[in-house]
Amino acid sequence: MRTLTISQAMNEALHEEMRRDPAVYVVGLGLYPSDGDDATSGLVDEFGERRVRSAPNDEALIAGSAVGAALVGMRPVAEFYLADFAFNALDEILSKAGKWRYMHGSNAGMKLPIVFLQGIGGYVGAAAEHSQSPLALYWHSPGLKIVAPSTSYDAKGLLKTAVRDDNPVMFFIHKFEDSGPVPEDEYLIPFGVAEIRRDGADATVVATSYMVTLALQAAENLADRGVDVEVIDPRTLEPLDIDTIVGSVQKTGRLVVVDEDTERCGVAAEIGAQVLERDFAALRAPVGRVANPNLPVPYSPPLEEAVLPSVAKIEAAILATLA
Amino acid sequence: MAPTPTGQLELYTLMVRSRAFEEAAIALAAAGDIPGSWLSGVGQEGTLGAISQLRPDDYLTYTHRGSYGFIGRGSDPKRLMAELLGKRTGYSKGKGGRHIADLEHGILGKSGTIGAHAPLAIGAATAVQIRGGDQVVMSLFGEGTSNRGTTHSSLVAASVWRLPVVWLCENNGYMGSVPARAYTAVTDIADMAASYGMPGTVVDGNDVSAVHQAAEDAIDRARAGQGPSLLELKTFRMRAFGESWPELRDPAEIAAWQERDPILLYQRQLTASDRLTVADVEAIRAAAHAEMAAAAEFARESPFPDPAEAFEDLYA
Repeated sequence: MRTLTISQAMNEALHEEMRRDPAVYVVGLGLYPSDGDDATSGLVDEFGERRVRSAPNDEALIAGSAVGAALVGMRPVAEFYLADFAFNALDEILSKAGKWRYMHGSNAGMKLPIVFLQGIGGYVGAAAEHSQSPLALYWHSPGLKIVAPSTSYDAKGLLKTAVRDDNPVMFFIHKFEDSGPVPEDEYLIPFGVAEIRRDGADATVVATSYMVTLALQAAENLADRGVDVEVIDPRTLEPLDIDTIVGSVQKTGRLVVVDEDTERCGVAAEIGAQVLERDFAALRAPVGRVANPNLPVPYSPPLEEAVLPSVAKIEAAILATLA
Repeated sequence: MAPTPTGQLELYTLMVRSRAFEEAAIALAAAGDIPGSWLSGVGQEGTLGAISQLRPDDYLTYTHRGSYGFIGRGSDPKRLMAELLGKRTGYSKGKGGRHIADLEHGILGKSGTIGAHAPLAIGAATAVQIRGGDQVVMSLFGEGTSNRGTTHSSLVAASVWRLPVVWLCENNGYMGSVPARAYTAVTDIADMAASYGMPGTVVDGNDVSAVHQAAEDAIDRARAGQGPSLLELKTFRMRAFGESWPELRDPAEIAAWQERDPILLYQRQLTASDRLTVADVEAIRAAAHAEMAAAAEFARESPFPDPAEAFEDLYA
């Protein structure tokens, strides 16, 4: 099977969905001329500048216009480049996209089919305002779906599902994108179905996006030391496949959640709490959290390494649950 | 072109119905029947000269103020009033209060933040352009909202993308009780249009005939694919910012504007040209008040939502 980067896989998904449905269009900054190999490359050549709209420089305009277009039947894909930049559009994302349908009582069958595409993550020396992974911020706020794929295969199948979903979807792609096999034939991946990336009996690690790569490396390292780690990639946080996570914890008795974002009120806290509520008795050790210790991401490599999750930190957290 | 004689009567009737809705809503607010508040549009009904010209398939975004956007588009006063009272029969099933969408009449909904409607208008106009349609998007905002960055970027986008948008700035001179000189750098918001490369026109917002004329030109231009326009309607809000808010503006200024009530001015124009008789005025007013009294009664008698309904409508 051919190998594609996550961006290449997403690029295919966008081409396919725009061919399939004339209501799909892309709006964002710098979408043309095509500059090589990112998720939106080549779209303008096939679909023209009306359906691939390079916008004036304001994320609030990009997001708000996506909401307005969705309200009248379009299926916009709003591209922000980085999640850090999408903060300029928080009112539009949190309060317009997320709450408009509810606040208006789903008037006349109101739908908001929007995909908000954005890059996340550190490890590239980009400092505090180009390195954030604010999944929890959006998960905290009602009305959004949250997708954070870790493989090319998932990125394509989940993006096609996101475009067809009738709700606003936050779609996060890590800067450190993997390459992987992607079939030629069309496929979709449903939201809310976790993938068990590695079977194990001793401890459960939950991770999304690039954290899956780190978690799998940690699991391999610990396997050499006789520790058998299960790695679960929820793929979507909203909806969350908590059943698969709880089922795994019932088997292993130990849970570590890895999240690149700041730890406080974060993804790890939420998943940990849900597992505790569902089956407190299954846990044989406190839940471990590996996350940013509530600091802005610093620039210099040794500082960044001190703040962000790493293979070594994940290994240590797993071993702590087994101590 | 002025409206036909029939059109003039229809426009006058819309203004009177809108005012009657306002008066009914003010009474409900005073009686404590509105859980939130009502931001009255009394005095700004001249805007109907523009809204009334939209086609049924056109789109509208409105501000936080008044009922004329809905009345002008043909929304159901019963469902509007029921929503203000938080009832299940309201447009938002009691979840929005004065945040109301009426998608069947092209009204996209109401934001809690000012300035958020401009990007929505851009989105609706984008949809029209992608589909190759000839619908128009009319987007209302106040002179205070002209400060927002979203207003700026949206006016840029409308012009750059040559979108069919009619921007309608209702300049009522105050943001809350703060006079415009404290927050606008120009006397006429219409002056800003030049920097966006679109025509800008100042109109007497209380002269509904003048509003009608200016809006007709802007709508024609948008529908013909010639791009957006900015109309500034100089007007005045006759009530405080919201019912239950204190009135802090100069009583003399309010009294002076009372003499320029848009309904009164239009009534004078129409009676002077024999389009309207005293008997007509009374009949239109009586019918409007009866209609809005029935709407208020419907709202009062409607059931509140069941608590379980709080868990509905989040996702499609």
